[in-house]
Amino acid sequence: MSLNSSPYARSTAGVAAMVGVGHTDYRPDYDAVRAGKKPFDSYGYAAVALQRALDDAGIDRADVDGLIVSPQISLERSSELFGINPRWGGQADAVQGILTAVMAIRAGLASVVALAFGNDQRSAKVQYGGPQAMGGGANLSYVFHAPMGLTSQGALYALMWQRHMELTGATEADLGEVSVAQRAWASHNPHAIMRKPLNLEGYLASPYICEPLHLNDYCLINDGGVAFIVMESGLARAKSKKPPVYIKAVARADLHNQSSTLYPRLIDFYHSGHDIVSREVYETAGLGPEDIDALMVYDSFSCHIPFVLEGFGFCGTGEAGRFMRETGIGPGGGLPVNTSGGHLSESYMQGWNHQVEAVRQLRGEAGLNVPDCRNVQFVSDFVGKVYSIIYGVDP
Amino acid sequence: MNYPVLYSPYDAAMWDSIAHDAMAIQQCTECGTFRYPPGASCPSCLSVGFDWTRLSGRANALSWATFHRQYLPAYPAPHTVVAARLEEGPILIAGIDAAEKPGLQLDVALKVITRDHPDGYKVPWFTLAARR
Repeated sequence: MSLNSSPYARSTAGVAAMVGVGHTDYRPDYDAVRAGKKPFDSYGYAAVALQRALDDAGIDRADVDGLIVSPQISLERSSELFGINPRWGGQADAVQGILTAVMAIRAGLASVVALAFGNDQRSAKVQYGGPQAMGGGANLSYVFHAPMGLTSQGALYALMWQRHMELTGATEADLGEVSVAQRAWASHNPHAIMRKPLNLEGYLASPYICEPLHLNDYCLINDGGVAFIVMESGLARAKSKKPPVYIKAVARADLHNQSSTLYPRLIDFYHSGHDIVSREVYETAGLGPEDIDALMVYDSFSCHIPFVLEGFGFCGTGEAGRFMRETGIGPGGGLPVNTSGGHLSESYMQGWNHQVEAVRQLRGEAGLNVPDCRNVQFVSDFVGKVYSIIYGVDP
Repeated sequence: MNYPVLYSPYDAAMWDSIAHDAMAIQQCTECGTFRYPPGASCPSCLSVGFDWTRLSGRANALSWATFHRQYLPAYPAPHTVVAARLEEGPILIAGIDAAEKPGLQLDVALKVITRDHPDGYKVPWFTLAARR
C-alpha cells in the first residue's frame, strides 16, 4: 500500500449529483442596497436561495439530512432559521462544501445534503483592502504588508499579472479578453448585475485600480445567496425532478510555502497545484481539457482565467492571450468560460454561482446555452488552495 | 517608539532592527534557512530555534504594482510597491519612490533602505541599486 496512491479523486467519482440550485434576485437586491435599503441579512439571503433550491429539486426540507452553510452564517442559527435538524453538517466555502458533501454521502452519513451561502457583504460594507481588510487573521498576506503600503486582494493579482506580462510578453489587452467575453455572456443572462456591453476599448479606457489591473478586472461586491441540493446518485436517479447533474470528480491541492510573501503566486502562479489537480480530475473522469464543453473559473479577478487556462493544459504557458483571441472564451468561442458572466459581471457569490451555472448549462437552462453540453469543469485557486470539479450529464 | 500591528511575538524585534536602519530577519539555528514574516517555526526543518540576522540589503525585483486609489492614510495614490527576492531567499514587499518606477524591470538589482512612516515607526523601502 502506498501513502500516496493516485488519483485520490477516484473515491469521489459518481458518488453524488446536484439535483437542485437556487439563488436570490441579484440585480433587484443590488439596486435596493445601492438605494440604501437592506433587503435581508446573510441568513435571509441564504433562506431565499435554499427555498428555491428545494423547489428546483422537488424535495421537502424534511428530506434533508445534511446541511453545510457558508462561513458568513453559523450552522446552528442557520439550522434553526431553516427549520432543519441535520444528522450531519458543517461550514465551508462552495467547493470545499461540495467535496465535504460527497465525502459524507460516500461515508453513509447523509444522503441529501443542502448547501447554503448567504452574504450581506455590500450592505454591511465588508472591506477587502485597507486597514479593516477582512480575513487577515487567517491570511497574513492580506494585512501584513500594509505598513509598507501593500493592501487589497487586487494588489496581489496586480503583482501576478505584471510579472506574467514581464515573463511572457502578454499584454493588458490580452487580459481584457476576459472581462469583454464575460460581459458578453452576462448580456444574455437575465440574472446578471452587469449586462451593458463592454468592448476592448472600453476595458482599456476604464481606470486603473491597482495597475496593471483596470476597474473591469475586479469582481463585483454585492449581497446575495445561493443554495444547492446534493444527493446520493442512486437516490438522485430515482427522486430528482430534473435530470441529475453528476459530480464526476473533485480534487484539491494546497500550496502554502512562503504564501504570506506570495511565493506560490509570483514564482509558481499556482501551477504546481494546477498540475496535481488537473491530473486527478481528468484521470478520474476519463476526460481531458479537449472534452470540457464549458469551464467555470473562480474569478475574483480576471487574471485567474489565463492562469487556469495555462495551468490546466487548455493552452501552453504564455499562450492564454492568443488562445482567448483565436479560440475564444465568449459566446460562440471554442471554450466557453464563465458563461453566466461570473464574479465580474453576474454576481460575486464567492464560487457558489459558478456551480449553479454548471448545472444550468448541463440541463440546458442557462441564459445562453452551450450547444451539446455534456461536461463542465469548475476550477478555483485562491488563498493557496487549488480545487477542481468535473460535472457531467453521465455519472 | 510605535509599532505597526504585531501579528506574532517575534514581530517587535524585527521592527526594532528596522528602526535602527539594520533590518534583520529570523535565521534557523538548525538548518540556516531564513524566514519572513516572523514566525514560530522553520518551514524547512520545523525547528523553533533562530537567530536574528541582518540583511545584506541586496534584492532583485520580481514584480511591482501601482495603487491608483488610496487605501491607507499613509500612502496617497499613486503609490508603487515592489515584490523582490532578498539575497537571503525570502520575498520582501515594500514601496519605492515614484521617480524610480521607470527603472523597474524583471530582476533589476534593488537595495533595501528604510523610510519613516507617519505613525511613528520606520518601514523597509526599496531603491534602485544602480541609480541612473
